[in-house]
This record gives sequence, structure tokens and C-alpha cells, in this order.
Amino acid sequence: MLSRWAHRHASWLFPAPAVVLVATIIVYPIAYTGWMSLHEWFASSLTGPRFIGLANYGKIVLGDARFREAVVRTLYFTTLAVAAETLLGVAMALLFNREFWGRGLLRTLAILPMVATPTAIALVFVMMYHPTLGVANYLVSLVGLSPFRWTYSSQTALYALALVDVWQWTPLIMLIALAGLASLPREPYEAAHLDGATPLQALWHITLPLLRPALVVAILFRAIDALKTFDIIFVMTQGGPANSSETINILLFNQAFSYFNMGYSASMAVALFALVMGASLILIKVRRSTTW
Amino acid sequence: MADRRLTRRTFLKSVAAGVAAGPFVSTPARAQGFTWKRFQGKELFLLLTKHPFIDVLEKNIPEFESLSGMKVKWETLPEIQARQKLTVEMTANSGGIDAFFTSLHVEKKRFWKAGWYHPLNKFLDDKSLTSPDFDWNDFTPGARAGVTQPDGSISALAAFIDANVVFYRKDLFGSKGVTPPKTLADLEPLVQKLHAPPATYGIVLRGLKNANATQYPSILFPMGGTYLKDGKAALDTKEQVSSLDLYARLLRQYGPPGVVNFNWYECSASFMQGQVAMYMDGVNFASQFEDAAKSKVVGKVGYAVLPSGPGGHFSPIYITGMAVSSQSRSKEAAYLFTQWATNKANMVRELMAGVGVGRTSTWDNPDVKAKPKMPADWYQAYQASLKIGRQGLPEIVGVTEYRDIIGVAIQKGIEGAPAAQVLAQAQKEFQDLLNRTES
Repeated sequence: MLSRWAHRHASWLFPAPAVVLVATIIVYPIAYTGWMSLHEWFASSLTGPRFIGLANYGKIVLGDARFREAVVRTLYFTTLAVAAETLLGVAMALLFNREFWGRGLLRTLAILPMVATPTAIALVFVMMYHPTLGVANYLVSLVGLSPFRWTYSSQTALYALALVDVWQWTPLIMLIALAGLASLPREPYEAAHLDGATPLQALWHITLPLLRPALVVAILFRAIDALKTFDIIFVMTQGGPANSSETINILLFNQAFSYFNMGYSASMAVALFALVMGASLILIKVRRSTTW
Repeated sequence: MADRRLTRRTFLKSVAAGVAAGPFVSTPARAQGFTWKRFQGKELFLLLTKHPFIDVLEKNIPEFESLSGMKVKWETLPEIQARQKLTVEMTANSGGIDAFFTSLHVEKKRFWKAGWYHPLNKFLDDKSLTSPDFDWNDFTPGARAGVTQPDGSISALAAFIDANVVFYRKDLFGSKGVTPPKTLADLEPLVQKLHAPPATYGIVLRGLKNANATQYPSILFPMGGTYLKDGKAALDTKEQVSSLDLYARLLRQYGPPGVVNFNWYECSASFMQGQVAMYMDGVNFASQFEDAAKSKVVGKVGYAVLPSGPGGHFSPIYITGMAVSSQSRSKEAAYLFTQWATNKANMVRELMAGVGVGRTSTWDNPDVKAKPKMPADWYQAYQASLKIGRQGLPEIVGVTEYRDIIGVAIQKGIEGAPAAQVLAQAQKEFQDLLNRTES
């Protein structure tokens, strides 16, 4: 009896546990954040949230220069980091795609940064970036450059942070590109070779176009991640000096847990969500389009 | 209805009277019976913060358990995480926390306005709840003011008190024939004399935003500056401009490279590496200077009170305390713990471990004098600083936001922007913050 009932309703019964789980830990928080963003609330037990409609969004768009700067900074950081990672990652993938002695060992070593904990990496980089005691300036001096201020100057902080991101995440792009390379067919290369194409031409006209779907996925992963980078910035600069490395995520964390502006920070979270969503949609569209 | 609000003065009077009368009327009071065992069998949960004071306290909690017959459970988190956890627990009204360690210089008005502190006035008055030897008046005036709200309610019992002092290299000062600065006017010429980069930089102070806001008043207060005037923002006064100008110039011209993003960690690292002649910061950082495993300057560090200035002689102080949660289901039992944690015996233990406390009696305790952990001038500088202590940050709801506002202004100053210009911007933002949160 029961089994027959279950059999008849299997189509919704089986996915039900997963649906409930997703609803409670993903859908509900998102909806609640959206609802919170329409309120003003200072995390007080005595006075509850006050409904203020879209006022928070009005403030974000029109009134808050700090937020606007954070948006520009977030996009800049993402572009910078992901572009460098893609270039280096593809280059490394092309290198490791060749046969040479010690390739397996080097390839394993190359992906090590990816498996380390961001917070731990950040703490190590804080020490390495120290302007007078750190090893980074020592290395720089070995190649004859004058010392940098790294994260200790508002002119260089964002670049120094992007460098950490690049160090850690280039291997991800490399891995995905390497998998893409392994699946490429041999025939086009043979044909190109017969037609007298140089290796560079083969790379530009065959390898890269064929690699594109894999690369777009890799860039998509990295872009989403870089847009919401939090840990390394929080640990290394807390958004400073001044506000020179404050991204949207750092700002909204401060609004929520330092200033207790819960509603306002929720509206920033929604804005960040929209930004990540928008970037993803664009990239997915790029992937589907057939023209290069 | 008559105004039943307690002002701080009347409250202090009544407490003082109670204490003074204590020995003579103790029989009825004892008959009502103060006893540590009153809540025997109860269980308490504490939210504590990673802090030198707590490190010492934690070791002695079993002693409280056998004294009171209560079971104590606790969780110790880093400050920021503890504050997040508390925020989540309190806004959810869970009632799971009975007492907590609170950084009053940041949380005082915010938590008070949110209604998270249980006022301790009645408990302190109640002789059946407060041990006869607790002695509220033993706390320094700065410590008492630091835990008391504008409406007179007492939100916590003062635990650790940090005061800003001068750390200086006795050897370097000696070889140049100079002494620690007595006035603000001495400061810059002195630092200039000591500045010999890259071997030695003249001075280090915190540059990192937010963190620098606790060090800035070391210059601002003696210069005669304040945060508020008649409840309005006062960041663009001429005292503010000369203070920020001096603070930023000292660091820009005589500080180690990158000082603009130095928190206390980087500051004390460069001091302990012997790179800096002088450093002003919280007195509690000193214990690591005298630790040979970490420091290259052991035995070479002198300690002195901050310089005075045209506005007077002050030391910015920062108070942490033990508070009873307003949502606790056993507030009186939790009060017993807070009281025990800040009583004379425990404060002596703290002081002997090199953790500064605001109880006058502890300083003359024979044990402390017999086995000093720190050099004598450390104790002298600390004690003298407590006497001229003034709450180092504005007592407002949005302390953290204020610290970011002034912190960014200071960092821009260090990187070369004119003080008047960055303070004009800070003034605007600070007034906007006050409008939003202080109404």
C-alpha cells in the first residue's frame, strides 16, 4: 500500500530531502537578505527592524561614494587578477602539456598553492611583505630593484593583494586548461603542419579556439571567486591603507559586523549578488556564442 | 512619578556610604548572608575573549567552581569573532550566555542601547549578593566612569585597563644624552635627534586605520582637542588640525617605511627588532619586550608617562570588563562570577602576571612588590598614567565607524594630504554618523 503510494509520488518524494535542504540553507537566507535590505536595523534587541522600502538601494546608488569606489575597486581587482591568472595559467598548461623529464613532479608542485588555506597564505604574505623585515623586498633587491611598499601604501596595496590571488589561483586555470589540451584532437595540427603553419600560428588559430570552452569555464570560476574575495584582504589590509583596498565584500562586512547597519549591508550583499550574477551571465553567453 | 533614574554621583555616594558603613553594620548584612554557595548546583555559560586577562582568569575558574559549587562552562574566541557570536546570540534572544567579557571602549554604548547589559547597580547595593570585601571604591575613578552609562547604570565590572605610555630605548637615549619627552613641544626635536635610518627610525606609532584611533588621542588630548563639543562633531577644530598634522608628520618623516599600515603587531615587531628609538602604545604590550625569545631589546627599554601639552596631561585609557547578560536566566549567579573575576585576589594575580588592572589596592600589595614581573619604571609609568586616565575613544554608539573615519583621515595625512583637508571630510562623515545613531 505504502510502497505503491511512494512509487506513484516518487517524482517529488525522492528529490524532497534535497529540495528541503536547499530551501533552508540557500533559498531562505537569500530571500531573508533581500527582505532585510528593505529595512533599517542596528542589531538591537530593544528596537526591531524598521521598514524603509528601497531607501537603502537609493543610498547605495546615489549617496554612498565609498560604495561606488568599492565597486570600481572590486571590478579592477577581479580584472587584474583573472587576466594575469589566465595568461600565466595557459602558458603553464602549454608547458606542462609537453613531455619532459620531471614533468609529473613539477606539475604536482605547481598546484600546491591552490590547496593551501587562504588565511594561512595571507598571514605568511603579511610577513613577507613587511617593508623592512620581509623577504619580498630582499628578493626584489637581489634583482636590482628598489624596495616596494607592497600592502603598506595605498598606491600598491591592491596590486600586492592581486599578486597573492594570482600566486594562489593560477594553478586552477592551469589545471582546467591542461584538461582541455589533453582532449584536443590531433588531426587539425597534422593538417596545419602539412599546410606549413608555424607553431605560433597553430597555437593562435587552432589551440586557443579549441580551448575556449574550457577557458571560459575556468575564467568564470575565477571571476566569481575574485569578485567575492574576502579572506586575504581582510587578513592582510582590512581594506587599507585608508580605503585603498576595500572591496564590496570588505565594506559590507564592516557595515554589518563593525557598524551594525544590518539592513544597509544586506542591500550591499544583494548588489554584489547582482554583480556576480551579471558577470556570470555575460561569460556564459560568451561561451555559447560560436563566433570567436 | 518621581524621577527614579540614578545619577552616577548619587549612586557612588550611596555605594561609598555602604562601604564605609560596612564594617559597623556587618552583622545584619552577614545575617542576611552573603555566601558564595548561594547558587550551588547551577550551571553558567560564559563568552570570553582571547586576552591576557582571560588567560590568567581561565586558570583559576576551577577555584570559583569549588568556591561556589557552580559548574562553569565557557568559550574563548578572538575579539572580533566573540563580538559576532554575541551579536548573533543576543539578537536571536537565545539566553544561552550568562556573562561575557566586554571591550567597553568599543561596545559600551552600542550594547547598552541594544539592551544587552544587565545593570549591576542593585546587585552592588545588595549585601546578600556582594561580598563585603569587594569594595567598589577600590576601582580607580577612570575605571568606575568607564563602566557607568550616561543614565547612571553600571554595565560591567572593570577588569583590564590599558593606558597609553611611552616605550623608549634607554641605550639610544643615553648615547644621545636625551630623556623621554616631557611636553608635546619636546617631541619632534627629540625624535629628529634619534632618527638615523636605516639603522634606527625616530618613532613608531600605529598607522593602520581604526587601530590608529586609539593612539591618536595620545597627541590629541594634550593638544587640547576633544571628539565632541556640545554633542556635535569636533574633528575640524584647530587643536585637531595641529594634532593630526603632528601625528602624521612624525610618522611620515621619522617612521619606518610602510608605517601607514602598521597595526600594533608591526609596530612592536620593529621596536623589538631594535629598529625604532621610541614607541607609544598600550602599556600591556610591554611584557613581550622583556621576553628574550621574542625581543632583541630586553633590558634596554624604558617606560614613561606620555608628554603633556597646552591642553593638559592625559593618558588615554581603554577598559574591558565582565558583564552580566540581560538575557541570562541566572543573572544573580552570573553576577557572582563577575564579582569573583574582578575581586582583589584575582586582580593581584593579574597584576603579578603583568596584566594591568584598575584597583588601587593591588598596587601596594606585598606580593606584587616582592616579585615584580616587569621593571620598576613600568609599574610607575602605568600607575601614573591611570591617575591621569581619560576614556580614549568617544563614548558613542558608532565607535567602530568613528574609528574608521578618523583612521582614514590619519592614513591620508601620513601619505601627505593636508590635515585640515582630511579632517574637514572626517568632520562631515562623523557628524553624519552622530545624526544617524545618537538621536
